[in-house]
This record gives sequence, structure tokens and C-alpha cells, in this order.
Amino acid sequence: MTRVVVTGLGAVSACGLGADLLWKGVAEGQSGVRPLSFEALPNQRVGTAARLSDEDKTRVTESEGHRMRDPVAQYALVAAREAIEQAGLGPNDFGDECGVVIGSGFGGAQTLDDNYIAFGVDKNMRLDPMAVPKIMNNAAASWVSMETGASGPIYSPSTACSSASQSIGLAYQLIKAGAVKRCLAGGAEACLVGGVFRVWELLRVMTAEKNRPFSKDRNGMTLGEGAGVVVLESFESAQARGATIICELAGYATNSDAGDLLRPNPDRAAACMSAALADSGLEARDIGYVNAHGTGTVANDVTETTALKTVFGDELAGLEVSSTKPIHGHTLGAAGAIEAIVSIQALKNQLAPPTINFNEVDPKIGFDPVGNEARPLRTKAVMSNSLAFGGVNASLVFKAFDG
Amino acid sequence: MSTEKTDISQELLELVAREGMVDMSEISPESRLEDLDIQSADFVMILMALEEEYGVYISVDNELTEVQTVQDLLTLAETKIREGQKDATA
Repeated sequence: MTRVVVTGLGAVSACGLGADLLWKGVAEGQSGVRPLSFEALPNQRVGTAARLSDEDKTRVTESEGHRMRDPVAQYALVAAREAIEQAGLGPNDFGDECGVVIGSGFGGAQTLDDNYIAFGVDKNMRLDPMAVPKIMNNAAASWVSMETGASGPIYSPSTACSSASQSIGLAYQLIKAGAVKRCLAGGAEACLVGGVFRVWELLRVMTAEKNRPFSKDRNGMTLGEGAGVVVLESFESAQARGATIICELAGYATNSDAGDLLRPNPDRAAACMSAALADSGLEARDIGYVNAHGTGTVANDVTETTALKTVFGDELAGLEVSSTKPIHGHTLGAAGAIEAIVSIQALKNQLAPPTINFNEVDPKIGFDPVGNEARPLRTKAVMSNSLAFGGVNASLVFKAFDG
Repeated sequence: MSTEKTDISQELLELVAREGMVDMSEISPESRLEDLDIQSADFVMILMALEEEYGVYISVDNELTEVQTVQDLLTLAETKIREGQKDATA
């Protein structure tokens, strides 16, 4: 059986440019949530999001930018370059043996928003002629493949908040099946533009205050943006290159609720986690940390807690669970990758990052996550969960590499 | 703002009936939303109308989990409107 290992990590987030700055932010509980406002949205109801700092945004989209790329593709490229560098991949490590699986929820949102406003409001007929290739959801994956020369299979899952978990899972399956030796996998999202923000306001799942997952006084989620990319490869391939192995991707599962677009089903989330455990060959008691989907909406928190208790037992004994979304925000199509990277770093550093802004256990769910302060871990395996709109569940299990 | 409390209650009741597509003769503060067949999609329409007319943002979350009757909803809306007015004059 082919084992799949992780050899590189790359992240772009409100915590900064780089997987280490992401980890620093989550481990220290430093939130990247900032005020934001949109020129075309004067009556904005929610005024914060985990957006890139102005300096990082300028650096990523202007200094290193490209007129053919929406910020979403730029975020993916910056994350991919970092992961490739860490993995030590050279020019001969791409080609048909390397796949690219990078998802996104909204694709080139900035380009779409700018051009709709120019066309619909300003009645401008001279729009961006490259709008289509900038907006299409697979542009980020294609740019990564073009820049690296990775000419193996390319996919761009768009399954809302599970896009990036499914991307990493699909890449794992491609490697396990022997279709490729390695993959650049993850997700990217640059959704913090007026039009997208307004439709999230309309759905009314965003809080106008602070994001407080699992806390009794939770009142909705906070959006974020960024990208996460990991280098996955077969153990044999990593060994042959003499690569440093960060950890093993031991198990993955995904399923569908086949029920409701917006209301999650705890039984299906539990079935997904159990299937990922079975795939990894581990038992529930082997998992020491779960990075929860933990959006901080009542629907998610109740469902996810119920599912966790089904899989790990009512007391969640010996298990630390946290949501790091109040720090890096809910990055939608990038969330699964950013949180997988956080989970891998938690495993590597043996530290469960905190759920900041947590005030009080909610008697409705009777669950006490890692609140406000990080906790030490002693574990060889961690899990990262994504539970998306559309009823799409995905769970990844990472294991310490033991030779 | 010198709007009488009773006026705003009546206005809000009319808003809930209109957006929830319920006849005014069938709705009273004591009515349970469930019995009026006001579902989650109707809820979102009511909340959107509250935003349009009074500039208040209510997320479909904790604040709404305890809301069962029309009066619960009116109380929540009035609280938010008063908070909004206080912020505006502060």
C-alpha cells in the first residue's frame, strides 16, 4: 500500500505570508481580524474580516502580481512557491508525475466584482478583456501548474468550505492509486469584495461582533481570505529524493449529507470522521487533537459537537479540540488547507492552538474546547474537519512520521 | 426620534405579516411563528426588511434561537432598533 507523506507547507493568510506566521498567529492567539469597508457598499452591516494586512496584500497582488491574475491565483502561487521551496522540489520533479489540485469557492471574485460595477453602474463597455480567465475557478490551479511545469492531472474542487480539504484528499487518493508521484494540493480564496461580502450579509450567518466558536454567546462567523498549499508525495518518492518528511497523511474521507443545502447533519459528519479514521488504520483514541470546522454559527457548533461526541465519546476524553477561525477567519475554499496546515503544525509542535474569544461553555452542547490559551499535546495523530454548505463533509487524518 | 412604542410595535407587526406572507387578521404577538408557517426563508425576508427599514442587522444565530413567538421577534427587533438609535445619537 502506497503511503502518502507531506514534505512542504505554504500559506497566505491574515496572519501573514508564510506557514510559520500562520502558526505563530494561531499558537499565540493573535487574531488577523481587521476592520474592512467597501466603497460600493455604503450601508455595510458587518465591518470586520480576517483580511491580509495592507502591506501583505500590496506585496502579493502588486509587487509580485501579474495583470492576467486575480488575487486568488496570486495567493495560490505565493503559497505554492513556499511549499515547493520547503519540499526542496527541483525542475525535474514536476512534469507528468506531479498533479495540481487547488480548489476555490468563489474564484476570481475581485475581477467579477470590479467588472460588474464598471459595466452595470458606470455603463462602461471597455471592461477587462481577460476577465473570463481571471474569474474561472480553476485559474489558480492552472497558474500553479504553468509556473511549475506540473503537467499531471489537474483538478479544482469547488465545494464551498470543503474545497481545500477535498483537494488534499483527492491528491492523496491520486498518489495512493499510483496515478502520480506527487501533488501540489490546497485551496485559495480572495472573496473579500463588496458583492461577495453583501451576499454573505444577506445570509445572515456572519456576526457583527466577534467570532466565538463553541461559546454560549456565539453569534455567527467571520470571513477570511488566503491560500494554503501542501506538497504531498508517495513515501518512496520522498525517500528517493532524500526529502525531509514533515508527517504522513494517513487517512481521508468525504461524504455528502444528501439532505439540506444549509442545515448540516451530525450523523453524516460523524460517518465522515469515522471513515477517515478507518482509512488511516487508527482508532479514535489515537487522535489527540481535532481542528474543528468551528465556524461559530449555532448550526455548525451544535452539529459538529454532536458528531465529535459520536465518534470520540461523550466526554471527548484525551482529546483537545479547537477552532482557529477567530484568528485566520473562515477562508471558505482555502479553509481546509489553512486548517490542515495548522493541524500539521500542531502535531509537529505538540501544541493545541486556542479557540480565542471563548467566554462560556454552552449548556446546549456541553462542550469545553481549548479556550483562549494553547494547551500542550502528547499525540501522534490529529484530524482536520470541514463541513460545507451543500452538505459536503471532509476529514483528514495526519500522523507523525515514524520511518 | 419620538416614535411611540406602540406605533413601532404595530409597524413591526405589519412588517412581519407582510414579509412572512401571513394575513394581518391571523397574526397576533402571541402567535407562534411555527403555527403561522413562517419558515427559515421567510425569516430571512423579515430580517432583510428590518435591515432596509430600520438599518438593523440581526444574524440568524444565537439571537434567534430563543425566538418562538411573534412577540419574541418584535422584542428582539425593537431592542436592536433602540440600540441602533442610541449608537446613531451617541
